[in-house]
Amino acid sequence: MTIEPQPAPIRPGGMHFVLHALTRKDVLSGLLFVGVALFGLWLSRDYPIGTALRMGTGYVPRLLCWVLLGLGTVIVVMGLREGQDERRLDFSDRSGWRPVIFVTASLVIFGLTLERLGLVISILLLIAVGAVAARGLRPLETLAAAAVLIVLSWAIFILGLGLTIPVWPEW
Amino acid sequence: MELLGNLALGFGVAMTPANLFFALAGALVGTLIGVLPGIGPIATIAMLLPLTFHLEPTSGLIMLAGIFYGAQYGGSTTAILVNLPGETSSVVTCIDGHQMARQGRAGAALAVAALGSFFAGCISTLLIATFAPPLAILGQSFGAPEYFSLMVLGLIAAVVLAHGSVIKAVAMIILGLLVGLVGTDGNTGGTRFTFGITELTDGIDVATLAIGIFGIGEIITNLTQPQETRSLVAQKITRLWPTREDFHRAWPAVLRGTALGSVLGVLPGGGATLSSFAAYALEKRSSRHPEEFGRGAVEGVAGPESANNAGAQTSFIPMLTLGIPGNAVMALMIGALTIHGIQPGPQIMTERPQMFWGMIASMWIGNLMLVIINLPLIGMWVQLLKVPYRFLYLAILLFCGIGVYTVNNSAAAVLLAAFFGVCGYVFTRLECEPAPMILGFVLGPLMEENLRRAMRISSGDPMIFLQRPISLGLLVAAALLCLLVALPAIRSKREEAFQE
Repeated sequence: MTIEPQPAPIRPGGMHFVLHALTRKDVLSGLLFVGVALFGLWLSRDYPIGTALRMGTGYVPRLLCWVLLGLGTVIVVMGLREGQDERRLDFSDRSGWRPVIFVTASLVIFGLTLERLGLVISILLLIAVGAVAARGLRPLETLAAAAVLIVLSWAIFILGLGLTIPVWPEW
Repeated sequence: MELLGNLALGFGVAMTPANLFFALAGALVGTLIGVLPGIGPIATIAMLLPLTFHLEPTSGLIMLAGIFYGAQYGGSTTAILVNLPGETSSVVTCIDGHQMARQGRAGAALAVAALGSFFAGCISTLLIATFAPPLAILGQSFGAPEYFSLMVLGLIAAVVLAHGSVIKAVAMIILGLLVGLVGTDGNTGGTRFTFGITELTDGIDVATLAIGIFGIGEIITNLTQPQETRSLVAQKITRLWPTREDFHRAWPAVLRGTALGSVLGVLPGGGATLSSFAAYALEKRSSRHPEEFGRGAVEGVAGPESANNAGAQTSFIPMLTLGIPGNAVMALMIGALTIHGIQPGPQIMTERPQMFWGMIASMWIGNLMLVIINLPLIGMWVQLLKVPYRFLYLAILLFCGIGVYTVNNSAAAVLLAAFFGVCGYVFTRLECEPAPMILGFVLGPLMEENLRRAMRISSGDPMIFLQRPISLGLLVAAALLCLLVALPAIRSKREEAFQE
């Protein structure tokens, strides 16, 4: 997270000002809560609410969503009124995307392949994709790490714990 | 003398070869993850939950507990030698501990941290043994309204004690409560927030959420930060024994830290991290040489390191006696118990005394092991710090994946954990503390259940919470806590305390 050295003088009211304020962390987190609350209210629109005595499926979820909506709004307003501008997210810094994408992708691939292709191949895939997430990838090192990790997980989980995960692809 | 009999029973259980082995395993794993920055006890315990399926419940609990307090020992090593917190609970140890190391007193700092932790561990084990039985007896008289009010108090305490913005912490708790609702509603049989996905009808497992938010989320966060250069204090650690003056200055700090940590650990939302921060603030304020803090004051190591171990251990009290988790680690412990079909709560002590007392006795044994693991073997752990993060995160990632899969026996859970990982990263970027969310997640279903029961007892009259004396007392305490935060004078003090 880099801190912008010197924010340019901003004319209040302009489009730029709005965008600028929106990147504040408090405003963004408030918006996140509001969004989740609205989504929850929409999802639970058909859940029966019931009464306090006999609560239906929707009683507690809807109550919580309304509270979250209120809290989120307060957080947004407080964030907008906050004078200081230091706690902003800098979107021009794109280095954050690489780990997000590759770490997530490696796990998703691992989850999808484990049962079909077996432990060994899914670990190889997880490491191949996961290794891209860090900068300065060294292929030989990573290969060695993969070999160690495969042997280790086989020893712990298959040999030691007797888990019923297929080791090799099932044809 | 009942206490001695109970402790004898406990030591009988804890001294069996198998349980000694699992206490040692927990202590070793705990020290390992404590030393390594980038992986904490929450993610580790969540990953190792499947291991405990195959163990006796007592052995499993002994091992998981060992990981938690073992991490408090290991965390100080990294803080002192590398100026990086191995755990969040040793953040403040960096300040003076690393300064001591740079002055060539690394050995003394490490010894004070380990011995202080050991002292705190012994005292807090005794505290658990003394106070758990009466609390459990009190807990047996609790009905649904009391449990509900207690959980309200717990959640509010968690908010007050959380770092950073109070209102964001409340929102994170609500978010956790909502995630906890996913699945089938036990009372009406209706499904909630399942998006029509069959895997979600049973709800989300706490291990999946914890591995996602704390394991995967932390990997992503660490990778987005520029690789830190680890300035390992290079010279050989020659003297482990502190000087006479160190001892003289450290022991009152150890006493204060132990007392403070023991109290804060019992509070919901408390535990190790909060205790260490509070202890550092206390030492700095009460010291006659405040100018020495930040320049290698031994009190700045002794106080927080005793406090975090005391806090880690006394946070077992509400879990063991009332079945209520005070922090995310305790929530996972409850998860481990329920997998074995054990319902945590006040009845554990009477129904399973072997497990209850065995675990308490094992804490003392584990602490003894940890002093040995951490002091004479310090060189081994220092070597481990040289493993670069680019190897470490691949291993963590893999064990997270296998861990989630085996806890749920489902591939869908791995995808869910990946999703929570991204959530965890976003929360960190937006400065939303994720720990209250896990607390809300675990307490949510319990609260709803007790709220419903209370409403049925009172035929829908919410006044029931104010009519029963214990419930009223708990709610008054919760209201007082709210008031405390709202008062501007205290608010500025609180901010000050967290800034230090």
